[in-house]
Amino acid sequence: MPKQIDPRGPRFGAIITSVVLALVLLLGPTRGLPLLALQALVFAAGAVLGLQYQPYGIIYRRWVQSRLGPPAATEDSRPPRFAQAVGLAFAVVGLLAGIFGLSVVFYVAVGMAFLAAFLNAAFDFCLGCEMYVRLARLRAAR
Amino acid sequence: MTGLIVLTIAVVIAAIFIVYRRRTDGHVSDVATGATLNTEVELGQRATLVQFSSQMCAPCRPTREMLSGVAAERPGVTHVDLDVAENIDLVQNLDIRRTPTVLVVDGQGRVRHRITGVPKLDELNEALDDLCAVRA
Repeated sequence: MPKQIDPRGPRFGAIITSVVLALVLLLGPTRGLPLLALQALVFAAGAVLGLQYQPYGIIYRRWVQSRLGPPAATEDSRPPRFAQAVGLAFAVVGLLAGIFGLSVVFYVAVGMAFLAAFLNAAFDFCLGCEMYVRLARLRAAR
Repeated sequence: MTGLIVLTIAVVIAAIFIVYRRRTDGHVSDVATGATLNTEVELGQRATLVQFSSQMCAPCRPTREMLSGVAAERPGVTHVDLDVAENIDLVQNLDIRRTPTVLVVDGQGRVRHRITGVPKLDELNEALDDLCAVRA
């Protein structure tokens, strides 16, 4: 049985991520870079080290989870972890674009990262879950 | 200013997408192609609920619970849960794009209906009533 987690944790993290990425978009490709770099580190912690090291997840478990009851159901930890990796990829592209003055690439990359986080935060939509089948088919088609 | 525009566009895209999904998810759509299920899966006498799941799929568990409950109530109807990764040829032949996808297959192995997302129970029962021709 793959590692199970409280599904409200990643959802809480998605809310914070959405707000941070919205701020990055509003700040733009130069002033937004420090904040984007911080968010990239947050993504990296979750993707590379595991969800238990994701800072927003730590905040959730420490301050929020204790105020809520136990979750109705647990979920597989791998899709949220995959989502962190996707977020990291977009954030890195956004950072590089900002550094090299490619504003359009910056807005597209950060915009897409925001879209994924917002879909998850506001609608509990799991982009990684959706991509999984399509990726599996692409790999099989080769 | 650009950031605000991008933000607004993203929120609008998200809203439109979700509205579209909420409309299509769970509904039973008729399949007219006459496609058959080519597999060693043991078919139910009257109908088989063929669920395609993946390992990373939160809605697959409630779907599985719903379908096994429905199959338990209806004699001649069975439920089968296939992993996408282990059945990639079926996934390609039947054009499965996301999970959960449920195919309602009749007693002869023909695909009659298709449902993406967690099925709407009343529509599913209606479709099965027609296939079984007898209310369970």
